[in-house]
Amino acid sequence: MMTWQRLVAHKTGMLGLVIILLNVSVAFTAPWVATHDPLGMDILNRDAPPSMDHIFGTDDYGRDIFSRVVYGTRISLYISLLSVLVAMVCGIGIGAFSGYYRGWADTVIMRFMDALMSFPAILLAIGIMAVRGGHINNVVIALGVVYTPRFARIVRGSFLSLKEKEFVEAAVAGGNGDLVIIFRHILPNCMAPIIVQATVSLAYAILAEAALSFLGLGAPPPAPSWGNILSDARNFMLDAPWMTIFPGIAITFSVLGFNLLGDALRDVLDPRLK
Amino acid sequence: MVRYIIKRILYIIPTLFIVAFLIFFLVHLIPGDPALVILGEDASPENVKVVRETLGLDKPLYTQFVLWIGKVGMGDFGRSIFTKRPVIDDILERFPVTLVLTTLAMIFSLLIALPPGIYAAVHHNTRKDYTFMFCTILGVSIPGFWLGLMALLFFSVKLGWFPTIGFVPMWEDFFVGFRYMVLPSMTLGLFMAAVVARMIRSSMLEVLRLEYVTHARAKGLGEWKVIGKHALKNAFGPTLTTIGIQYGMLLGGAVITETVFSLPGLGKYLVLSIYSRDYPVVQGCILFFALTYMVINLVVDILYVYFDPRIVYE
Repeated sequence: MMTWQRLVAHKTGMLGLVIILLNVSVAFTAPWVATHDPLGMDILNRDAPPSMDHIFGTDDYGRDIFSRVVYGTRISLYISLLSVLVAMVCGIGIGAFSGYYRGWADTVIMRFMDALMSFPAILLAIGIMAVRGGHINNVVIALGVVYTPRFARIVRGSFLSLKEKEFVEAAVAGGNGDLVIIFRHILPNCMAPIIVQATVSLAYAILAEAALSFLGLGAPPPAPSWGNILSDARNFMLDAPWMTIFPGIAITFSVLGFNLLGDALRDVLDPRLK
Repeated sequence: MVRYIIKRILYIIPTLFIVAFLIFFLVHLIPGDPALVILGEDASPENVKVVRETLGLDKPLYTQFVLWIGKVGMGDFGRSIFTKRPVIDDILERFPVTLVLTTLAMIFSLLIALPPGIYAAVHHNTRKDYTFMFCTILGVSIPGFWLGLMALLFFSVKLGWFPTIGFVPMWEDFFVGFRYMVLPSMTLGLFMAAVVARMIRSSMLEVLRLEYVTHARAKGLGEWKVIGKHALKNAFGPTLTTIGIQYGMLLGGAVITETVFSLPGLGKYLVLSIYSRDYPVVQGCILFFALTYMVINLVVDILYVYFDPRIVYE
């Protein structure tokens, strides 16, 4: 069976894909889905519980929580997609170079990657954000740096084993240059673990971005990121629990989608791990 | 065995050096002059010059790094800009809280991860297994800090089972202290529980297919004896590595959990130091966290030898 057919037959994987598509659609159609301006304050409607007008209630500034959660999808997806893309591009470059050329450069680079992985991921991101300051693009850079070593290790490992295969020897014998061998012959053969890692990293990136914003180190307020909404809601948790409940459900739902798809891709692309 | 342990300890040194190098240069990239942070923006240039000289900031960066790494090697992490106390004293004062939190979280996660993980492996590809897998994916999808807030809302405010905010050290009053730590450690440990449960399931699946397990069954041993005594020990090795790696997640998660539950641990101290731009503390805390993570992984590697003695010979 083809990979796509096996994925379609994977029920939880399909559920994950549906959740992701739903999230992406909400992010693209946010101005039409949102019922209010996410930054618009309504002082007369502060801390209002869920109602027909404000289905998730309002916060302490009278801002509509539903609209903020809807716009939060944009920020969350933007940061997670871009940071994983940064990590993937850097990780593939570093891993391919290390695995293909080996030698002292490989030793130095991989020690450096090991050192980066010696930090608990969120701590390294916190450190980078402390240096660069709260800004959406800085979150992208911080998470990109944090996840780069994971991709580098996977790609290097794949390159080490694939470089010894006969098809690579044939490509070398055929007079192909290094870049052609790396990008046309070896890299396409190690895409399966990269895709799985990318999907799982997307889930972690959403959680990490929310955690950074919650600590006040992510997207600066009043940007309606999910972490920011939760951070604002913390002080009003007892009197207005709806401020806390809905953004948390949105984060869980979104992360669940990527995790379900990642798990399914792992089953489909590498059945040994099932 | 001793040779293996020495080799592993020696292996840590270059990594730790690179980690220290990264932290030093990361912190020195922070915009703004630390002397101005200490004296305030209105400070006179003369005073700024004196403070810069006192802190050694007038020296070239590589000289500063060599001096700093030398001091760190002697256990001197510098002094806090605000409290003026040695950073290492502040770290050692707060670290026990983080250590207790992460250890309780780890114990909690193992308690809730192992039985269902083993159970799912034994009932592989059944509805019970699928339900288990879905629950573990849900477990790694819930943000810990949100779960903490929800737990506070429900168990502390609504039901009144646990204190809301505050802290009593367990080493002063064990039971009262424990009540304060239940919710933080449970919310922190849930993510790890889900990861460990999945790992133990897949390790058990691999081991249960091996011939020696079939042999144990053929000898007429009871199923739970085969699983508990023969399969689990071999399946636990890879799980132990996962526990080591996940302990790092717990240390990172502790930063957020301590903020949610207002626990006076190292994580909360780090966050407050970032807000107040107390560079020596930020530098010291991150280095200490990284060092702790490396030591935990070293211990895990050594413990691994107990579960798989072949490691020593490889």
